[in-house]
Amino acid sequence: MSEHAENSNQGSVSHEHTLYAEPIFHVGAFTVTNSILNSWIVVFLILVLSLFIRRKVRIVPKGIQNVFEMVIEKFLGIFDLVTQSRSRSLKFFPLVFSFFIFILFSNWMGILPGVGSIGQIAYAHGEKVFVPYFRGGTADLNTTLALAIIGVVASHIFGIIALGAWRYFNKFINIRAFLEIPKKIRKDPMIIFVNPIKAFVGLIEIIGEIAKVASLSFRLFGNVFAGEVLLASMSAILAFGVPLPFIFLEVIVGMIQALIFSVLILAYLTMNTSAEEH
Amino acid sequence: MESLIEMFHVDVKLLIAQMLNFAIVIAILYFFALKPILAVMRERTEKIEKSLQDAVAIEENMKKTEALCQHEFNEAKKAAALIMSQAGAEAEKKREKMLLRTKEEIGEIINEEKEKMRLEKAQVLKEIKASVTDLVISVTEKVIEKNLDSKDNKELIKSMIK
Repeated sequence: MSEHAENSNQGSVSHEHTLYAEPIFHVGAFTVTNSILNSWIVVFLILVLSLFIRRKVRIVPKGIQNVFEMVIEKFLGIFDLVTQSRSRSLKFFPLVFSFFIFILFSNWMGILPGVGSIGQIAYAHGEKVFVPYFRGGTADLNTTLALAIIGVVASHIFGIIALGAWRYFNKFINIRAFLEIPKKIRKDPMIIFVNPIKAFVGLIEIIGEIAKVASLSFRLFGNVFAGEVLLASMSAILAFGVPLPFIFLEVIVGMIQALIFSVLILAYLTMNTSAEEH
Repeated sequence: MESLIEMFHVDVKLLIAQMLNFAIVIAILYFFALKPILAVMRERTEKIEKSLQDAVAIEENMKKTEALCQHEFNEAKKAAALIMSQAGAEAEKKREKMLLRTKEEIGEIINEEKEKMRLEKAQVLKEIKASVTDLVISVTEKVIEKNLDSKDNKELIKSMIK
């Protein structure tokens, strides 16, 4: 059933770019989609690269270790600008750097030739539909949503560890603001207005946390998906030459989006581990 | 919300699978790549810092050693000068002593020679006296042609000589 489907317009095969990742096969109740296949390849690539680096790590660096160390140093430099402290940068580094690498590889895997163009013809609703075997991992909301949830939840966990559960809880459900009123009202009568506002702001923060997940996941998904649609459209106009500048554009976009996502996660981590200031 | 989930095919199983994927990525990156590299980088930084500190310490030590060397050298110089002056004094003393002894010896030799000469002179005088006596006797004999007996003769001569 499978075939090279590039530029093949035979019959009434539909070549629509779907918003969702198409299922390729099923393992029991689990649906394996083309984007999760790509994610597995990314995980495998990262595994190979990591094992390679691990084998090469020496006190006197050589070859790829130099490149990797340079990247790490640059990233720690960027992180220091956000966290304002090297020890905090080092604490968040493994998580945030993993976001960057995973998203970068997923984004770039989406641009590779063959991804999105090699596939099979499936029958859906009595119509022939082209289903690619691979789809960029981040061109699927499931992936970006999973990443955003992990990032935001991790920022809360770090926040609880850094500030303590009670203090952290009061950032959102500000019971302490109300408890403070009787104690401080003689000194500062305005507190009766200010602290309920503080409590209300805390409630808004909860919505803000949900918004963080939504903005992170949709920003990444939107950019990568739009890039894939753009490349497909350009290829549809003329497959030779015309998509080339857009491919370079997508290489840059892939890197920038990975950087934005990871730096935003870092910013959330930093914000949530800092005591609130008034 | 329902339509969103429907539109993007959000599936809890896929979500969990992707979370798992990412968890694996974190674990792999952390344990296989980042941890060893960061450890090596830290170790290298520490080593370099330590070598720099060591270099300062070594330089300080060297300065100390140099100063010590200079000091020892000066001491040795002083000691040598002292020994030299002592040796000079000793030699002078010895020379004087030897000179003195030589002088004494020369004096002794001279005295001895003087004594010898004195004795010889006395001997010679005695001999000369004897021969002069004989000569005078014989001359007188010839002059007076008369031979006194030897006893008178001798007395006569003695009185003449004196």
